Amino acid sequence: MSTIAPQFRLSRFIASLFDIIFWVLLIFSLVGLPIVFIILFYIKMPIVNGQMLTPYLAMTWMADPSRTLPIIKTLLHTTFFHVIAFPGFGFAALLAAATIFVERKFLAKIQLRVGPLYCGKIEGILQLMGDGLKLISKEIIIPAKADKPIFWVGPLLFVGTAGAFVSLIPVARGWVVANPSVGLLAVFATIGFFPIISVLTAWAANNKWTFIGGLRALHQMIAFEIPLILSLLSIVILTGTLNLSQIVESQQHYWWIVFAPISAIVFFICIIAELERIPFDLPEAESEIVAGWLTEFSGMMYGLIQLGTYLKLYAFAGLFTVLFLGGWNGPMVWPPFPADIVTHGITIGPITAKIPGLPLFDQDMLNGTLWFVIKTVGVILLILLPRGVFPRIRIDMLLHTGWYKLIGLAFINIFIALGLLYAGVLGPGGLIQ
Amino acid sequence: MSTAGGIIRALNSGVKHLAIRRFTLRYPEQKLKFVGDGFQFNPETGVGIAGLRGRHILYHEHCTGCQLCSVACEGIAEAIGMVKVNETWKQNKKAIMPQIDYGKCVFCGLCVDACPFYALYMTNDYELSSFTKSALIYTPAQLAIKPKISQDVEIKIDDRGATHG
Amino acid sequence: MTAQLPPGIQLEKVDDRIMTLNVGPQHPGSGHMRLIIKIDGDYIVSCDPDPGYVHRGEEKMAEYRNYIQNIPHLERPVIHDSSNILHPYCLAVEELLGIEVPERAKYIRVIASELNRCIYTLYWLAIYGIFLGHSTMFMWPAGDRELFIDLLEAMSGARVTHAYLVPGGVRNDLPANFEERCLRQVDYFEKRLKEYQAVFYKNPILISRTEGTGILSRTDAIRLGTTGSVLRASGVDFDIRKKEPYDVYENLDFETVVMKEGDSYARSYVPYLEMFESCRIIRDAIRKMPKSGSVRTKLKPNPKGGNEEVYKRVESGRGALGYYIVSNNRPEPYRVKISVGSFRNLICMPYLLKGELLGNMPSVYWSLNYWPVEADR
Repeated sequence: MSTIAPQFRLSRFIASLFDIIFWVLLIFSLVGLPIVFIILFYIKMPIVNGQMLTPYLAMTWMADPSRTLPIIKTLLHTTFFHVIAFPGFGFAALLAAATIFVERKFLAKIQLRVGPLYCGKIEGILQLMGDGLKLISKEIIIPAKADKPIFWVGPLLFVGTAGAFVSLIPVARGWVVANPSVGLLAVFATIGFFPIISVLTAWAANNKWTFIGGLRALHQMIAFEIPLILSLLSIVILTGTLNLSQIVESQQHYWWIVFAPISAIVFFICIIAELERIPFDLPEAESEIVAGWLTEFSGMMYGLIQLGTYLKLYAFAGLFTVLFLGGWNGPMVWPPFPADIVTHGITIGPITAKIPGLPLFDQDMLNGTLWFVIKTVGVILLILLPRGVFPRIRIDMLLHTGWYKLIGLAFINIFIALGLLYAGVLGPGGLIQ
Repeated sequence: MSTAGGIIRALNSGVKHLAIRRFTLRYPEQKLKFVGDGFQFNPETGVGIAGLRGRHILYHEHCTGCQLCSVACEGIAEAIGMVKVNETWKQNKKAIMPQIDYGKCVFCGLCVDACPFYALYMTNDYELSSFTKSALIYTPAQLAIKPKISQDVEIKIDDRGATHG
Repeated sequence: MTAQLPPGIQLEKVDDRIMTLNVGPQHPGSGHMRLIIKIDGDYIVSCDPDPGYVHRGEEKMAEYRNYIQNIPHLERPVIHDSSNILHPYCLAVEELLGIEVPERAKYIRVIASELNRCIYTLYWLAIYGIFLGHSTMFMWPAGDRELFIDLLEAMSGARVTHAYLVPGGVRNDLPANFEERCLRQVDYFEKRLKEYQAVFYKNPILISRTEGTGILSRTDAIRLGTTGSVLRASGVDFDIRKKEPYDVYENLDFETVVMKEGDSYARSYVPYLEMFESCRIIRDAIRKMPKSGSVRTKLKPNPKGGNEEVYKRVESGRGALGYYIVSNNRPEPYRVKISVGSFRNLICMPYLLKGELLGNMPSVYWSLNYWPVEADR
């Protein structure tokens, strides 16, 4: 006799299935459809067969396959899709999740152990899902004397700020959520919010450890933001623009890491410090101040902070790629879309289906994304490596490194950049274009 | 400069370990091999025979019900109690034999040292967990069963590091 | 409004600048104890260690059990170093009962003690690594510790609480092929130990973090009565294995590791170097050990001590570890007093932490080689 479901009845099972289907249909028709229509109303519809599509006509794509791909193509270029899925949150969260898994396996390999192994049969690939489910199902405990509104909103603000940072990173040509002409300044403005959130939540939790951790986070981030900004000045001097997409375009022939290696090193160290990763994880130093400014977070609130941290990690790695490693530039390796499918359609046996609207993505965009992802993953692996080999640094040495050594190093590369500019080697009208 | 050198050496050492084989013993699939059949004791010489101190094995045909094991356990774990058994042995007129509570036993093996009749030894069986406390109390009949074990993994050392199995 | 306090209880005056932190007992960096730390900004003004959370009354328990039954109890304070904590007990009881130990048993005891010292030091090093935020240094020693645990398990039959040393020798002889296996694993371990250098001991971040913190001068080390690696790191050449050799240590070839600096780095480097010496002792002992012979002198059942008292001490992983046993013609000892290195090193804490940064607290605290369970007994 089965011990799992001793009371099993097939009729009840089928009835429950129908019940579920009924509720899904009801909720979809009452809530889902109106949402779809509202979204479609705000999207500029394409012209198919000489006819401007309305939301009502667009909903007939299931009946008329010739309308499907143009509508999907239109959706891909909407801000909504950009924010939710591709260059924005979904893409970044996917990379962040992959980063967490890779970090655990990578660290385990350095430490001669196996890491997650059993969840998901193949090398523990579903471990992250299990951890997420655990975090969601855990109770959220709020300290009795906490400043509750600020404490509640802290993790949300953290994820929101990280998402805003992600939205500024251009992934491929034209594929960026927000493309302000002062993109780099926007980046600095966004990362300036993180210490404020740390201090706010730390103070709101009303705990000595969070208080010390929050102050440490404040010290650390302010100390490292200045060399971070200074190290990027040489890039701005050389390119003459603050727009991130234009900075990438300027690296078609050579990467800026060739002319600004010291800046790249300074920027890399500052990234690790801003991310509060070992060796700069003082705000969360476990053996000194329990968990720093995260001490009182529990359940999904902690999960949100972790999500924000890894989004931030992706965004900083992407920024490094964009500024120093040439962003999406790279040799064309993506195979072109087969032309006869566009002209003749797909032939399967006797049936020939001609699909209008192909190809869905152009080759340039796919190739750019591929190169961007490869470079970003490389940078992320480099960011993960120090966690395996370094101990935590001390606060006085941290501040000394930030305020004294890194600022000096950043200035050296600014002078090199200015020299290259005035010698006429680089920059507008320089020898190397 | 020496700082940069040290940092590079540390990173290099970390990267080098990516090629070294993992040391982890994957426990439920692999089980470590032990020396011999478990801890035994030779009362003639007064010296034990090396082996793992796992759960006990009781030889009913040797046990005389002398209670020495129970006395030895008093003041250590008090895990051994003498219980009546429905068996008739000519050396065991009182028909009492030890019953061991593994919720209390510390596996020191001094009861084995105390037994002068070659009746109580220890075995290589260490997987004793149970869902109830009462299931941890092993009766003389349970103690008489020889455990089935398959332990075959040893530490292997080669150029690419040490591994299990 | 001032509430009426019960007689004998006073409220502490609160300073605006000073914050009191209770590091422990529920703190990831404290162990089974509490440090009451007062900080002014990031500087520690005063530190008051508060041990006693794991007091188990081992000494009182020993008065109600005979000399053999005491063995499993008395190794409980330091289960990672259980051979070393039983070693002085066995020496003391042997003197009390007038037992001769066979030569081979003495060598086996030394091997067991040295293997156990390595196990303890690796465990200590693993926690030192994680206290400094170095997770690799937590995993490597914890993994390499398995080599010695497997060896001791083959020797004694238990992985952690061995109960292997008894008055009159050891419980059982070595298994077949033990020498060969032991030498192979010790050789491999020495190779592994050298790899800790680049990642941990020669790591510039670790050096800058621990060098010059919590300096204990030579005179202070002697005046405060410290022992073990803390004493040797302050430049005092004192090792009981050399100065008052017990068992067969005078026949074996090894050196005492002494460093002059007396800071956290030296205190953490001395145990590391001592592991190399332990490997040397093990190798030498295996070479010089008689290949066969008795390993245990048979005791009378329920042996009684005379009307006398005896004190014996050995060098454990944490320094001098001594047993003072008084007997009064009974099978049970009249009084057992365990003098442990951990408790003696704990007294340094208020002196060393005063004026240090809060970030130095874990490195100084754990470099004292302090084991809370042993200190509380």
